[in-house]
Amino acid sequence: MTEADDQRLLLAASQGDRAAFDGFVRRHEDAVFRLLQASASCDADAEDALQEAFVAAWKNAGSYRGGPSARAWVMTIARNALRRAHRRRAGEPADFEPIGEMGLQAGWGRDEALEGLARREVLERALGALDGEMREVLTLRDLEGFSGDEVAEMLGISVAAMKSRLHRARLRFVSALREVAHG
Amino acid sequence: MVDLDREVAGIRCREVLELLSSYLDGDVTESEKRRIDAHLLECDHCLRFGRDFAEAIGALRRELRRSPALDQDVARRLRERLAKE
Repeated sequence: MTEADDQRLLLAASQGDRAAFDGFVRRHEDAVFRLLQASASCDADAEDALQEAFVAAWKNAGSYRGGPSARAWVMTIARNALRRAHRRRAGEPADFEPIGEMGLQAGWGRDEALEGLARREVLERALGALDGEMREVLTLRDLEGFSGDEVAEMLGISVAAMKSRLHRARLRFVSALREVAHG
Repeated sequence: MVDLDREVAGIRCREVLELLSSYLDGDVTESEKRRIDAHLLECDHCLRFGRDFAEAIGALRRELRRSPALDQDVARRLRERLAKE
């Protein structure tokens, strides 16, 4: 299946072809849910946003005009669904800690080797220790493999802001990895 | 004593640290890359940290990119919800 297949499925879905839309859902539901789990504070919120996102995609399939990939399009819808849920609750915390401090916490200047890199559970725990905004950007860029431009578009921020957020998230991930691996 | 403001090969450790993700992603200018490469040849702190950083992000991509498929119950509830639309 390719991007062109996605476009055909969405075109058919916009004309009421439910089987085509089901095919589109099956193609992207895993990745969308992974993103939502990474960003949401709990699985229940992620599942609510998953449903809301695909319902919105079904109702708005005709509005997809290409440009970003169909996967990026539905990811954006999903993320917006989750953001609406977040807005209904508290504001999101900002992290403006200086990069130098974050580097020191991540082990710059220390001699001890970084451990646990081959252990999936250690990596998962380190990723899980990050806040939602950081997990989100790492998930999109490093796990789902979207380009920097696509991630910036999905997050609704500039490419420069995306790069800054990504770098902070990676540094925090290395810090968390040290904490988890070294107990 | 570690000092992030130490300058080696015309660039401070702090600047190398700030550019590390862009360097890893191949998203620095030729000039920045040359300066960082020269710095890494002479700075053990940045070389060691840069390697750890790259290995950690590499492990993240390699080990966690293939995540399990959607939970069956979540998938079923999604289909039930869509069926109502």
